[in-house]
Amino acid sequence: MSERTTRLSRRNFLLTVGVGGAATAAAVVATKKSSQAPSGQGKRATRGYQASEHVNNYYRTAKV
Amino acid sequence: MTQAAPLEFVPPEEAARANLYALLARLFYAAPDAGLLRALADQTMEGELAEPWKDLAHAAGKADPETVREEYETAFIGTGKAPVTLYTTAYAIKYSNEAPLAKLRGELDRLGLARRAEVREPEDHFAALCDVMRHLVAKQKSDLGEQQRFFSRWIYPIAGPLCAAISRSDKTVFYKHVARFAERFCTLEHMAFEML
Repeated sequence: MSERTTRLSRRNFLLTVGVGGAATAAAVVATKKSSQAPSGQGKRATRGYQASEHVNNYYRTAKV
Repeated sequence: MTQAAPLEFVPPEEAARANLYALLARLFYAAPDAGLLRALADQTMEGELAEPWKDLAHAAGKADPETVREEYETAFIGTGKAPVTLYTTAYAIKYSNEAPLAKLRGELDRLGLARRAEVREPEDHFAALCDVMRHLVAKQKSDLGEQQRFFSRWIYPIAGPLCAAISRSDKTVFYKHVARFAERFCTLEHMAFEML
């Protein structure tokens, strides 16, 4: 099978299974994604170690 | 007079692939916010992706952003070891002498890609791999053979185990739908690459 025929078959397959048709839906959502992509800073602020008052109290009371 | 840049035609199926990879990268990088949940809920798809998308859209329509954020952090970050890891080499290592992350870095280097200095996550995060595919499809417009090599080596073998782990986990609700959609998309990608 020639390369062109193979690529046409692949393209037909993707269009038939709906991946081609997904272009609009995915584009809308992907655009949303790029305008609202989370900043690394925001993500970091929600996790990781933080020396909260509770943590400091624990360290204070745990001293031997 | 300035000359207009030539219009670049991207076939709809390739644009869709790039956008689907972008969407998966976003969903696995961090929990969706209210705007993205609304956008997911409002869209429809046809064909093989219609069913998992419908479930995902329905779940997005009902989801509370704060609850989904909690779910993401509990399932994929956790305290100590994450209940479900999104770092794909964890699913790939069979022998202790393997170093897949080093090989992945070599592969990315060959493709002219590297982690940005401010990014701390290792390159094997599933979101990063999806973003590489988006880049190969939409930006580099790489040869399909090149895309197939990367997908078959780094994404397809772990998509199944990763999505199964997400589906099995008692910490996930919304992300079970994301995993189902991701797995179906990866299966279709694999089948399409097999036609090359």
